[in-house]
Amino acid sequence: MASSDDPSRREGRYDRRELIRRAGVGAASVGFAPSFYGPLRFKDRWLKGDLSLITWAHFVPAFDVWLDKTWAVQWGQKNDVDVKVDHILNTLLTARSQAEAAAKNGHDIFFNLSPQPQFEDDVINHNEIVQEVTRKVGKIGRIAHKASYNPRTKKYFGFSDNFVPDPVIWRHDLWNGIGLSPNTWDSVRKAAPKLKAIGHPIGIGQSAELDSNMALCSFLMCFGVFIQDEKHRVTIKSKRAVEALKFMADIYQRGETDEIFGWDPAGNNNFVYSGKGSMIFNAISATRTPEDRGLPFANDLWIWPIPRGPYGRMGYQHVMGSWWIWKFANNKAAAKKFLADLEINYQDAFMASKFYNFPSFPGAMSFSRIRKAVATDRHRPIGKYGVLTTIAQKYTTNPGHPGYANAAFGEMFNKFIIPKMFAQVSQKKMTAQEAVNAADREIKAIYRKWRALKKI
Amino acid sequence: MEALAAARPRGRRWRDVFERPGVLASVLISPAVVFVLVLVGGPLILAIGLSFTNATSGELHGKWVGLANFRNEWSNPSFQHAVWHTFQFTFISQAIVLVGAGLLAHALSKNFRGKWFLRFLILLPWAAPLALSLMAWKWMFDTSYSIFNWTLVHLNLVDKVDPPQYLAESKLAIGSVIAVHAWRILPFALVIFLAGLASIPKEVDDAAAIDGATGFRKFWSVTLPLQLPIATVALLFGIVFTATDMAVVYILTQGGPPPSFSTEMVTTWAYKTGIESGSLGPGAAISLFLLPVLAVVTILMLLFARKAEVS
Amino acid sequence: MESFGRALREKGLAYLIVGPFAIVLAFPFYVMFITAFKNQTEFYNPEVTPYWFGKDSPTWANATFLFENTQYPRWLANTAIVGLCVVAITLVLALPAGYALARLAGRVGQSLGVGIFLTYLVPPTLLFIPLFWVITQVNLQNSIWSLVLVYPSFTVPFSTWLLMGFFKTIPKELEDAALVDGASRIKTLTRVVFPISLPGILTVVIFSFSLVVNEFVYAFTFISPSENKMVSTGVYTDLIRGDLPEWGAIMVAALIPSIPLALLYNMFLDRFIAGFTGGAFR
Repeated sequence: MASSDDPSRREGRYDRRELIRRAGVGAASVGFAPSFYGPLRFKDRWLKGDLSLITWAHFVPAFDVWLDKTWAVQWGQKNDVDVKVDHILNTLLTARSQAEAAAKNGHDIFFNLSPQPQFEDDVINHNEIVQEVTRKVGKIGRIAHKASYNPRTKKYFGFSDNFVPDPVIWRHDLWNGIGLSPNTWDSVRKAAPKLKAIGHPIGIGQSAELDSNMALCSFLMCFGVFIQDEKHRVTIKSKRAVEALKFMADIYQRGETDEIFGWDPAGNNNFVYSGKGSMIFNAISATRTPEDRGLPFANDLWIWPIPRGPYGRMGYQHVMGSWWIWKFANNKAAAKKFLADLEINYQDAFMASKFYNFPSFPGAMSFSRIRKAVATDRHRPIGKYGVLTTIAQKYTTNPGHPGYANAAFGEMFNKFIIPKMFAQVSQKKMTAQEAVNAADREIKAIYRKWRALKKI
Repeated sequence: MEALAAARPRGRRWRDVFERPGVLASVLISPAVVFVLVLVGGPLILAIGLSFTNATSGELHGKWVGLANFRNEWSNPSFQHAVWHTFQFTFISQAIVLVGAGLLAHALSKNFRGKWFLRFLILLPWAAPLALSLMAWKWMFDTSYSIFNWTLVHLNLVDKVDPPQYLAESKLAIGSVIAVHAWRILPFALVIFLAGLASIPKEVDDAAAIDGATGFRKFWSVTLPLQLPIATVALLFGIVFTATDMAVVYILTQGGPPPSFSTEMVTTWAYKTGIESGSLGPGAAISLFLLPVLAVVTILMLLFARKAEVS
Repeated sequence: MESFGRALREKGLAYLIVGPFAIVLAFPFYVMFITAFKNQTEFYNPEVTPYWFGKDSPTWANATFLFENTQYPRWLANTAIVGLCVVAITLVLALPAGYALARLAGRVGQSLGVGIFLTYLVPPTLLFIPLFWVITQVNLQNSIWSLVLVYPSFTVPFSTWLLMGFFKTIPKELEDAALVDGASRIKTLTRVVFPISLPGILTVVIFSFSLVVNEFVYAFTFISPSENKMVSTGVYTDLIRGDLPEWGAIMVAALIPSIPLALLYNMFLDRFIAGFTGGAFR
């Protein structure tokens, strides 16, 4: 992944002086970018109007406050646009987006925590925005590219501003007690029964929810199993898959408890907050909440990359923030500029999100800058959030790797076929081979359907 | 509205028209019918149309595929299981509601100290906004913090590390979902039964007392037959509301737990296919599967209710 | 002597049945109550009993959070407004229809009655997309009036059925008496039938209002801006942030409408039972 270390030209927060200065700089730089907007379209009055966005209720409330009350307001003032931001629970974004797409009416810019390739025909071509941001801060990151680009139609069907690396969160004190660490899946497998014996099992979810999907797909990749290949053919049926299933089943049978089948996204978090869980797969929400709520073991929670498997160390991002502009949007010019400016200035967003949101364009905030920022975090162990950059740089890839994200992959995800496959083997309802075959059949049927619709 | 305005005396001719039962009937019924037809009928026809196409996200139309969606889903084991689970969910929860509400209504027809307060407690599940009371249940069933497990662990009845998981174990999950749904429907059915009981004319009551029919005998030969029509309708509504409802399952289990997905219902499966994955055509087909089944059930039960009506 | 024993037995039986049901049905509200006033750090501490407060509780912090960080009062107001309007519309549409079906309609009416009922057989998760399109066509999106427009579509059929059943229990003699006295059908309706149908009306009010309060899919699809949300959608979509529900605030939000509504329904129940038994049949 290209990580251009473009030193960011902007720093600090917006205050009024800064605002005016930037307006000047902005106006000047605008004069140098006629290819983006065209010389005529750059008069202020072309941007007058409204802009409506909808996004999720961010896990970090301060981020929403920053987005709504600082960023949107100041950007709006600078560009003479009235920006309105709505928030809803992330699980409901999809339903709302379907309604807006069908009714051809709704917000100008929509957001979801994963790219939505199925809306490709209902959204504008976002290539312009990507190009503009590339011009300012450097190339788009590899995973954001793979997640929001359709190589067949050569269209960016979404604009990804951020992604969230997915580490493992583990109780250092408990693992230390048994003399192990989750560096490799082998050590996890060894540790699990011992941790369960002391009443603190690990928990890799096999539930019908997002975290389990991410964890298990990432686990498969560490064992060299990929659901699709670059040509988007289903490749899950393999010997390695059978091995991986048996491996995880062994971990469950000797070292985990039944609750891992009944979680929702907050389930594994509660597992840790109750003090019982000794390791989960989750974004840093699982460390931030103990810090905020003053839970006793907050300083014993360590953040590490996904354990290494026989074929390496690789995981999906936890979520990827994806924006898109509907074709029916009223104010496309302002919408494009909003997204471009947001990404170009992503430093502020990164800090406001307490390191949750990593910019999809690495140049927007270079890793060295990020490391400096995370070093200022005072929670113990000091610098624990620094590993997120390593994970983001080296160990994260897009769902659908080595291919691109597509609607068929999305449907397989939404139906939790992978957790089902694992659970069947863990609970001894099927042999590993049977489970792989069943999943393969089901996934292939889905891919057939979408291929017939020419969407892959 | 229109009818009442026209009813102001304007000469015998107008009034005569409205004296004819048929005309008056249509005038009184039509606002309701028109309103519902427009708001439900239109989208319904569109949805039926969608189910015969391969429409995906963003379109309300697509290429005609005939019965392909129905055929594909019919042979899909996930769909078949969802159908079976829906039957389980509907009939078991409604059986619980029927018996519970029936008993309660009978018990509440007498007067006793504290009745008002107890009735208030019983009405609470119905008064609470559903999404929020379901959050309370979610917490009560939480895999780490369940109050039930806390109690059982402190009574030394279950293992602290591996207690029962109400939403993670197949049979417990469907049981939990059924129980919560019955919990929320019960007050609703109770009120319908209370209305039914209260509408039994006092003469019947007195006659039964004179005949010496009390307690169980009275219940069986007097109350029950008179309650039957309204009980049937209450049951019918319960069945329909349950089979088409998604809230309880969606909030508690999202259709899980793997691998059996014992709480996957037709409604949640349709939602995952149509809305979350964007396959609108097949999603519509799945939703519509319930329609003929429920229609048949409805008509049968209404016929039964009509027969059972004691004039 | 024997009747005293029987009365005692019957009362005892009543307590034996009603008591456990009341406990089971109300128990979650007890949990809500404890959670609502519990310090959130204690809440996550499994050592602290979930049945009562710890040493840092009870606290108003959750309620403060709810009222300061969300638009909760507005959500309550929105729900109340929509509820009252929908109840009014429902009564206007369903009262005449219910009466007509009960008295006047004959066979066509019966089929029509069934037809109206069939509208419940389609899940809202299928209808919400085309309905959202309808809402955008009349430019009501993001407004609570979109709900006032759409909700009667599911309160009216049920209310019509309720009223139909209710009107059937009113003896025909009453109306026939009025007709014999020379009143027109319309006058009979307005002067005789509707007034004594107060119990039925109250029932419809309760049922329709509860349907409005509990509805979720349309409320969340049609309305995005926070200030226009209803109670169930506002709390659910604004207070659950990713994988962190604000449990304390959510429980406070759940209790505040539930208790008054349950009290109200209870009072209405009394009224309509009294209406049935003390009314026109003597």
